[in-house]
Amino acid sequence: MAETDRSENERVARLRATVVRELPNVDFVLGYARGFDPLHATPITVRNEQDAERLIFDATCVENLATSLYGLRGKRMGLVVKGCDSRSVVQLLQEKLVDRENLVIFGLPCDGVLDLAKVRVRTDIAEVRGAEFTGEEVRLLLPDGEKVLPRRDVLADKCLRCRYPNPVVYNHMIGAERTPQGEEDAYADLESFEKLSAQERFDFWKRQMSRCIRCYACRNACPLCVCKHVCLADSRDPHWLSAEANLQEKWLFQVMHALHLAGRCTECGECQRSCPMGIPILLLKRKMNRELKEIFNYEAGVDPEAVPPLHTFQMEEDKIKDRGQLW
Amino acid sequence: MRIGVMVCHCGNNIAATVDVEAVAAAAREFPDVVYATDHMYACSDPGQKTLEQTIRDLKLDGVVVASCSPRMHELTFRRAVERAGLNRYMFEMANIREHVAWISLDRKRNTQKATDLVRMAVEKLRVDRPLTAKSFDVQKRVLIVGGGVAGIQAALDCADGGLDVVLVERKSSIGGIMSKLDKTFPTVDCSVCVLGPKMVDAGQNPRITLHMLSEVEEVSGYVGNFEVKVRKHTTYVDWTKCTGCGACEEKCPSRKVPDAFNENVSLTTAIGIPFPQATPKRATINAEHCLRLTKGKCGVCEKICPTGAIDYDLKDEVVTEKVGAIIAATGLNLFDHRKCGEYGAGRYPDVVTSLAYERMLSASGPTAGHIKRPSDGAEPKTVVFIACVGSRDRSLGRPYCSNFCCMYTAKQAILTRDHIPDSKAYVFYMDIRANGKGYEEFVRRAQEEYGVEYVRGRVAQVYPKDGKLIVRGTDTLLGQQVEVPADLVVLAVGVEAAKGAPELAEKLRISYDAYGFFMESHPKLRPVETNTVGVFLAGACQGPKDIPASVAQASAAAGKVLALLSKDKLESDPQIAQVATNRCIGCGKCERTCPFGAIRMRELRDGSKRAEVVETVCQGCGICSVTCPVRAIQLQHFTDSQLLAEVNALCRIWDETTES
Amino acid sequence: MPDMGRDYRIIGFLCNWCSYGGADAAGVARFSQPTDLRIIRVPCSGRVDPMFVAKALLSGADGVLVSGCHPRDCHYSEGNLYARRRLEMLRRFLPILGVDEGRFEYIWVSASEGSRWRDMVTKFTDKIHALGPMPRMAEPVHTLCSLSGMLGQSLAQPDMALPDWDNKPDQTVHSRAVLTQADIAGLSAPETAKEDGNG
Repeated sequence: MAETDRSENERVARLRATVVRELPNVDFVLGYARGFDPLHATPITVRNEQDAERLIFDATCVENLATSLYGLRGKRMGLVVKGCDSRSVVQLLQEKLVDRENLVIFGLPCDGVLDLAKVRVRTDIAEVRGAEFTGEEVRLLLPDGEKVLPRRDVLADKCLRCRYPNPVVYNHMIGAERTPQGEEDAYADLESFEKLSAQERFDFWKRQMSRCIRCYACRNACPLCVCKHVCLADSRDPHWLSAEANLQEKWLFQVMHALHLAGRCTECGECQRSCPMGIPILLLKRKMNRELKEIFNYEAGVDPEAVPPLHTFQMEEDKIKDRGQLW
Repeated sequence: MRIGVMVCHCGNNIAATVDVEAVAAAAREFPDVVYATDHMYACSDPGQKTLEQTIRDLKLDGVVVASCSPRMHELTFRRAVERAGLNRYMFEMANIREHVAWISLDRKRNTQKATDLVRMAVEKLRVDRPLTAKSFDVQKRVLIVGGGVAGIQAALDCADGGLDVVLVERKSSIGGIMSKLDKTFPTVDCSVCVLGPKMVDAGQNPRITLHMLSEVEEVSGYVGNFEVKVRKHTTYVDWTKCTGCGACEEKCPSRKVPDAFNENVSLTTAIGIPFPQATPKRATINAEHCLRLTKGKCGVCEKICPTGAIDYDLKDEVVTEKVGAIIAATGLNLFDHRKCGEYGAGRYPDVVTSLAYERMLSASGPTAGHIKRPSDGAEPKTVVFIACVGSRDRSLGRPYCSNFCCMYTAKQAILTRDHIPDSKAYVFYMDIRANGKGYEEFVRRAQEEYGVEYVRGRVAQVYPKDGKLIVRGTDTLLGQQVEVPADLVVLAVGVEAAKGAPELAEKLRISYDAYGFFMESHPKLRPVETNTVGVFLAGACQGPKDIPASVAQASAAAGKVLALLSKDKLESDPQIAQVATNRCIGCGKCERTCPFGAIRMRELRDGSKRAEVVETVCQGCGICSVTCPVRAIQLQHFTDSQLLAEVNALCRIWDETTES
Repeated sequence: MPDMGRDYRIIGFLCNWCSYGGADAAGVARFSQPTDLRIIRVPCSGRVDPMFVAKALLSGADGVLVSGCHPRDCHYSEGNLYARRRLEMLRRFLPILGVDEGRFEYIWVSASEGSRWRDMVTKFTDKIHALGPMPRMAEPVHTLCSLSGMLGQSLAQPDMALPDWDNKPDQTVHSRAVLTQADIAGLSAPETAKEDGNG
C-alpha cells in the first residue's frame, strides 16, 4: 500500500475505529479496501475488526457504494460515502427507497478521485508499484523511478467541478470539511457540444451509440436504477425495447435512462465510468439536469424533503411558456 | 387471432375522398386480418347486423371499424360486437371521416392515410385484451353541501324519490341568500313566503338530516360509497332541548353584535335565532361576543332558559356520513364593495350594498321595511343604483357578468318607488341583461310604469357634498357628464364563488375555474355532473345564477342522483390502471401523483410495499403509468404495449415506404 | 418546402376529451388540413409518455405533436399539468440528441377549438416540411470493429483507454464528459466505415 500523508493516515485510523465502534449496531459496513494494484480500490464488507483493518480512503476510492443500497434494503448496514456519493443516498432517502434508520453513514470529505483513463494516457498503469496522493500531486512509483503528476490533471471531471466535497448526510463525519473547489457548474461541455449543428449532434450520437454493446453496465452501476431487476429494457410487457442489436434500440435505451433519471440524477458519473465502450452518456443526464435547474431551480440529492419537480406542478408555471402561443 | 375490418363509406362522406375499397383491400394483407369489407353505412341497422353476422360466421375475435370519430360511434359498435358475443374491448375504431375524409380532397393521400390508420387500429387490436366491468354495492343516501334554495330543492327532490338526505349547512339556519331577500323578480312576490314552506318541509322531512353550523372536513371513497367527515361547530346550545322560544335573546346583555343576517345594518345579541323563519328554529351563541365565553362572567341565558339547553362546555363534533352521491350547492358570495373606493363604499355610510338595501326593504328587516339612510335615519328621496359593481370589470379580476344584478336592481328601483312614492330612482348601467322569461318586460315596467331613470354609463366618482352624495358619471347615450345628488347610493354588487369553494373542490376532487366556481363536466351536455363520478352541482356554486336557474339545476342534480342510486349495484369502468405486482418496486410515486387518491400502498408479508389501485376510484387518466419508473402500473386498454403497437405500426409503415 | 411526393411522418398524441374532440370539430367544419398527421388517441395528455415521443422520433418520425386540454380544463383536473412539466423537459432535452427542437411540440386545444386545431396542425406540418425528413438511422458498421479493438486492449477493465473509432491516431481520453474543441472538430468529420479487421 502506498504511503499517504500523516493526517490522512490518522483519518483512516479514525474511520476504522469509528466503524469498529458501530459494528455492534449493524450487520456489516460497506467500505473501500485496496484493490489488485495501488491505483485500484475495491468494495469490502466489514463484519469484524480484522476486516476493518483493511479499510482505506484515498483518491482511488472511486466507486459509488450507494449503488448497493437498494439491493441490500432491509439490512442494518453501515456505508462509507464521499460527498458526491452522499447525494445518491439523499436521493434514495427522498424517494423512500432506503430506510434512514437502518443506515449508519460514515461521511468522508473528499479531495477528488482519480480518473484512471486520464492516468493511463500519461503512464502505463500496469507498471505502477505504489502511489502517493498529496494535496497537489499524485506520485507514482514506477520500476524506473518516481513519476509525479499534477493532481488536477488526473482527477475525474466531476471532481473538478465538485460543489459537494462534504457529505450532505452522515452519522459520523470523519475528517475536516473541505472547501468546495468547483464553481457553479457552467456546463462548459454542454455549451460546446450544443454549438454543433443538429445533424452533427445526431451523427455524433449515432456513432457513439453504434458502439454500445448493450451490456447495461451503465444501468447496473447507477445508484438510482433501483428497478434493474424489472428493467423496462428487459421487459416483454410493456415491450419497449426489442432484443435486436440495432441502433434505435441502443439509443432509445440511453434516452430512457436519461428520462428516468430526470430530477433524480446526482451526476455521480458511475454510468459513464462503467461503460466499457467509453460512451459519454453522462452528457445526456447533465443536459437534463441543466434544464431542470433552469426551469425548476432544482438539484437532486440535496434535500431529502424536497418534492421532485416532475411529481408536482404549478397551475401557472413561472418558466414554462405556453407553446401554442409561440408559433 | 382472427380480425375483421369494416370500412365505412358513410354515404358519400368518406367515399368521396377516400377509396374505401382500396383501404379494405389493403387491410386484407395486414397480419391476423381474415376478413375486410366496405359498407355504405356501418352504423346503420343493416351495417351493424352485417357486422354481428360476420363475427359469428367467421368466428372473429376482434373487429376494426374504419368510419367516423370514436367519440361519435364507439359505444354503438361496442354494443354491436358485444351482441355478437365478443368482449366490447376487442374492438378498435379508425377515424377516417373527421380526421381524413373531411379535411382533405387529395384522394390518393387520404387513401394512404386511411390505410395507415386502419393498420394502427389492427396492430393495437392485436394486443388488446378483453376487459370486464366489476360491480359493487351502493349507499342509497346523498349528501348535499349547502342549504340555500338549491340545496333545499335538491334535498326535497331526493327525499321525495326515496333517498335519505344529509344536508350540511355552514350557518345556523337553512335558507341561504334567498331567505334574506324581500321580494323576487320578476313577480315581486315575497321571497321568504315562497321559500319558507320549503324550509319547513326540509326541516320536517324524516328522510332529511340537517347538520347546521357544519362544514365538510374530509371526503374519501368513490361513487356509491363516499365517506364524508362533517365538522359540526358547537352552538353552545343543546338543540335537542332548545325550543326556539327566544327568551335567551331577550335577556342577553351583549347587545352590540353586528347582525350578519341583516348584512350588519343593525345590531343583535350574542345568543339568538337569526330570523323569524329560521329552520331549524334554534338558538346559537356567537362565541366571539358572548360575555360568558369571552370574559367568563354572565351566564344570563343559562339561568333564563326554560329547558336548560345552554351548555357553555359543548365542543365541536365530527360525524362521518356514508353516502352514495354528493351534491355541491354551496352558492355564492357577494363581491366586497369596499374594493371599489371610487364609490366611497365603506367610507360613506349612505353607500350600501344591494343586499343591505334588500334587508332595509324587508318587513322583517332591521328597519321594518322603512327605507332609512344609515347615516341619519332619514327617508331618502333620491336613490341611485350603480350596476356592475365587481362584475364585467377586468381591472378587478372579475371579467364575467354576474347574471342577475340587472334584474334585482330593477326590482329594487321599483320597490323604492313603491315604498317612497315621491322619490326618484336612478340606475347607472353598462348594458341591461334581461334575458329570462318576463325579465325584459319587468325592466320596461321599471322604466315606463315606475319612471325609474336609466342612465347608460359608468359612475366615475361618488363624493359627499352638502349632506348629499354626488354621483358623477357619464351618460354615454347623451355623451355628456351627469351629476346626481343622491340621498342613498346602492351598489349592485356582483357574484363571487363562495368562500372556501376551492378548498371544498379539492376535498371533492372536482375542478374549479380561475374564479373558484366549480366546473361542470361539459358546459352544454353535462352541466350538472362533475368529472368526479358521483359528485353533482346545483346552483350558483357552478357560476352566477338566479333563483329559477338554481332551482332548476338543483332538481336536475337530484334527478341525476336518483337515476344513479336507483341501481342496487354500480359497474366500474374497466379502463383503469392495474398494477403488475411482480414488477412494482413499491416506490409510491404513483400514489403521489394520482389526482384521485385512487392508489394506495399495500404492505406485503415481508414488509415490502406494492401499489394497489382502488378500482372504483380510478378515473383512467394514466398519469400513474408515466410516473412509474418501471411502468408497472398500466392503464387498461391504453397500456404502453398497446400504444407502442400503434407507434410501431406507423414506424413499420415508414420503413416499408423508405425501402420501396 | 421539399415535397417528397408523400406525406411526412408526423404522429399526434391527442387527449380524448379536448384535443381529439377539437380535431373532430375541425373535420366536422370541413377545415382543409395537411394530411401528414396520424393521430393516436390517449385518455389524457398526462398519459403521454415522453418515451413514446422519443421512440417515434428515433424510429423514423419526422415530427411529433402532443395536444391536451388547456391548463385548468383537464378532464382529470391535473393530467395536463403533469404533462406540461414532462413534455417541457423532453422538449428541452431532445436537441442534445441532434433532434431539431422544432420536431416536437406540445399544445393545448379544446374540443371547441376546431379552427385553432386546423391552424396548429397546418403550422406544425409546415414546420416539419421546412425541416425536411429526420436523419435516417442506418446502422454504421462500427460495433464489431470497436469490440475487437476493445478486446485487444482490455487488460484492466473497466478503465481501458478507448479504441479509435474514426481512424484517428488517438490520444484523447474519451471517458471524460468535457469535450474539447479538437474533439468537436473531429465530430463533424465524415464517417468512414472501417471494413478492415472486423473479425
